[in-house]
Amino acid sequence: MVFKFFIPTSLAHFLAAILLFFALASCKGDIPPLDREEHDLPRDAEISRSEPGKYGGVLVTAESQQPRTFNPLVAEDAYSSEAIGRFLNGLTTYHPIKEKVVPELALSWDISKDKRAITMELRRGVRWSDGEPFTADDVIFTFKALFDQRYPNRYMGQYTIAGEAIEFEKLDRYTVRFKTARPYSPFLYVIGFIGILPRHVHFDAFERGELLQQWSMRTAMHAPRELVGTGPFRVRSFRPGQRIVYEPNPHYWRVDSQGQRLPYVDYLITRYVQDRNTETVLFASGQIDAAAITPGDVVGVRKNASLHDYTVHHRGPATGIRFLWFNQKPGESQAGTAYVEPHKLEWFTSRKFRQAILHGFNREGLIQSVYFGRAQLLHSIISPANERWHNPDVPRYHYDPDRALELLRQDGFEPDQDGHLVDKKGNQVSFQVYASEGDDITPQILSTFRENMRDLGITVRIRYLDFGTLVARVSRHFEYEGAMMGFTGGADPSGGRAIYLSSGRLHLWNPEQEEPQTDWEARIDELVYASEETFDLDKRVSYVHQMQEVFSEELPLLYLVTPYAYVGLKNRWQNVRIPSMGSVIWNIDELYLGPEK
Amino acid sequence: MLFFIIRRFVTMIPLLLGISVLVFVLMAIAPGDFLDVARTQEDIPAEYIERMEEEFALGEPWHTRYFIWLGNVVQGNLGESWIYRVPVTELLWQRIPATLVLSALSIMFALCVAIPMGVLAAIYKDSIFDRISSMFAYAALSIPEFFLALLAVMFAAQTGWFPTGGLSSVEHEFMSFWGRMADYAHHLVLPTIVLGMGSVASYMRIMRANFLDYIRSDFVTTARAKGLGEGRVMFVHVLRNAINPLVSASGFILATLLSGSILVENVMNYPGLGQLIFEALMRQDEFVVVAAVMMGCVMLMLGNLIADLLLAWSDPRIRLEKN
Repeated sequence: MVFKFFIPTSLAHFLAAILLFFALASCKGDIPPLDREEHDLPRDAEISRSEPGKYGGVLVTAESQQPRTFNPLVAEDAYSSEAIGRFLNGLTTYHPIKEKVVPELALSWDISKDKRAITMELRRGVRWSDGEPFTADDVIFTFKALFDQRYPNRYMGQYTIAGEAIEFEKLDRYTVRFKTARPYSPFLYVIGFIGILPRHVHFDAFERGELLQQWSMRTAMHAPRELVGTGPFRVRSFRPGQRIVYEPNPHYWRVDSQGQRLPYVDYLITRYVQDRNTETVLFASGQIDAAAITPGDVVGVRKNASLHDYTVHHRGPATGIRFLWFNQKPGESQAGTAYVEPHKLEWFTSRKFRQAILHGFNREGLIQSVYFGRAQLLHSIISPANERWHNPDVPRYHYDPDRALELLRQDGFEPDQDGHLVDKKGNQVSFQVYASEGDDITPQILSTFRENMRDLGITVRIRYLDFGTLVARVSRHFEYEGAMMGFTGGADPSGGRAIYLSSGRLHLWNPEQEEPQTDWEARIDELVYASEETFDLDKRVSYVHQMQEVFSEELPLLYLVTPYAYVGLKNRWQNVRIPSMGSVIWNIDELYLGPEK
Repeated sequence: MLFFIIRRFVTMIPLLLGISVLVFVLMAIAPGDFLDVARTQEDIPAEYIERMEEEFALGEPWHTRYFIWLGNVVQGNLGESWIYRVPVTELLWQRIPATLVLSALSIMFALCVAIPMGVLAAIYKDSIFDRISSMFAYAALSIPEFFLALLAVMFAAQTGWFPTGGLSSVEHEFMSFWGRMADYAHHLVLPTIVLGMGSVASYMRIMRANFLDYIRSDFVTTARAKGLGEGRVMFVHVLRNAINPLVSASGFILATLLSGSILVENVMNYPGLGQLIFEALMRQDEFVVVAAVMMGCVMLMLGNLIADLLLAWSDPRIRLEKN
């Protein structure tokens, strides 16, 4: 009987086998507690002020993308940086609750009188996760590597101040000194971006010119212990497309007030899911401990809160900004056509025109209809989430069609007998707005915009492009009239200089100007530079506030709304402090499992 | 036989060249490039982006890049993934086992269900079983795989009987060997069914149609006249003849499963090739896309070759040398 195999009885066997496996799989055990290595505490260990907890527990999170690399010189996306930050430390770090720069591998620093030399004393007695001592040589090695022409990386440009690379030298085993060409107050903030690399691990590869090939995802898969760091965790295993498992670094330099070495958790596991919705589902079904929740999902997720013992916390406005803008770039493309037709360029470069458009846009209505009230108007280029730098007193543009028409009249626009708005030369006002397809909120925002503009007699055409096409159009070909986009926003305003400065790459409305083309852009440049030169925090804040005023007065970007951010977290975790921006488990080393309810 | 196989491999070369040119042209026409994501991040310096453009030769026309790539391929180097900075071959190898396991299981599932059902539907033609099974077949053929995958995820989430996605659970690496195997199996059930469902339907229809053809042939009458039992006539004589078209159809399985798995793997969060290819396509990670498309192509041709060999083996009337 050649075809015996295909006879239905074997199908029954097949199904029975599956059921058996299924039964086996459902009785899987829990993760066993971690056996911790004992090592001496470093001399300069940092003592956490948080409430002392107890060891144990597994914290599971999810991300929609996986790290591409574990090498900080190669990383350029947030997901890789996050994974790297689990096992590497910078010299400094930004404390999201205190909203200021705090020491990490540097113990303290001293700024010279001329503000150009920063001497940093390093933490003594810190060891790498493989037990080797950490010294100034590691710091010098890291900076040497990132300024090496063989290894192009994003930090090279970030650490080039006023056209000159920062200088660095080792003074003794635990002291390094940095020098900048000009006083640069964001220095302490930006210096913390790069994770300090272990010299003893990478020196040979560095010499051979192979530093960028080190610590790829293959290292994490096959030899995770080779990812040597000083951070709270080390990588235990990495499975691409599935998850990464971290375990505590037995040489970590932070302890609690009872002398217990942090972190408390036994394992930190990050699952990779294909999209944000899956993350929300996993959280709402109790499978992960923390997740960001979008305003639209808040009600649904809260339904399960008592079943899985979690809370959905309101974090206030989101950190990013979203906006519409008009192309103000003069000149012609290589093909000889103007980027923007001259009469339209005249509209777009008029401040009153831009103000009128924003006055005519019913953003208040959007908040109700699209976000169900879970959003607020955005008035400034820095989101209100960034409490330290956000200026709440900038000019505001509420929905006021009458004011919009008044402004347009002042600028020479008049409605004709058919209700179309025409400029002084008789051109009907119409423009096209490009946006990227892909999220469900964009079309709702833009159709409201189109309806509002029709009330003013303006014809708006909307075209959806693929994200890549949109970027190419606005940043390389400049062939567009209006567009809509967003930025994520960081803690320190120095991160936005590519947007603010007239020479900036993301000065979207007219990028990479050789000389500022307008007085107000010149004024912004001045304010940005001034804010970066002063070390007086109040003065810095005042410059950044002034800059925001100019932006909101001139409106090169027409701000939309800023949705509220929500985060869900299981209640069993103690020592949780939710900052207004950044990761909710930023103090993961201090979190511990409370008593079961 | 050997000559036949060699000839098939040789004819693959111009085809692969043509396909790689096509991919490069399409990628060049497609708007944007790999660095678009970096370009919109406010804190990535312009100098770095310029350096990267230079390194990836993105400023060059597609044919220049194509010949650089071809030169490397001839030396056995398929290039490096721009996203992950590891060789493309290594990246693909990480994902191939998961996808092969899923594909093999869905083929097995499809055959194990389709053949008996097709045979029964043919034997009991026009019975209620035949009607129901053809209704099922048309329904399964008309539901797109990704939708079925979504339904499966919903089913898993609602009942909690199966994991909602992935290949293994969070506790996986802390389990015993058998626990790990059971964990894999548990995760594979739904993706296998989803991916195999479409094939079940089409194979069942093929099987039924062929079986009906052969039921009416003369040799069946002869066999019955010899006094053979009905079971032996059906399952040995008729099935043996009717299975040939199924064997040649299975040549396409590998390729269709690969394309189907791109969607299914993405919906079901399965860490296979599909996920990787999808990401590479969205980010325009050129060398990964080219390698993946070529691999799909090779799999299609290998599948056809294997099907031809199987056919020759199962049907003594077919002689490959004479083709």
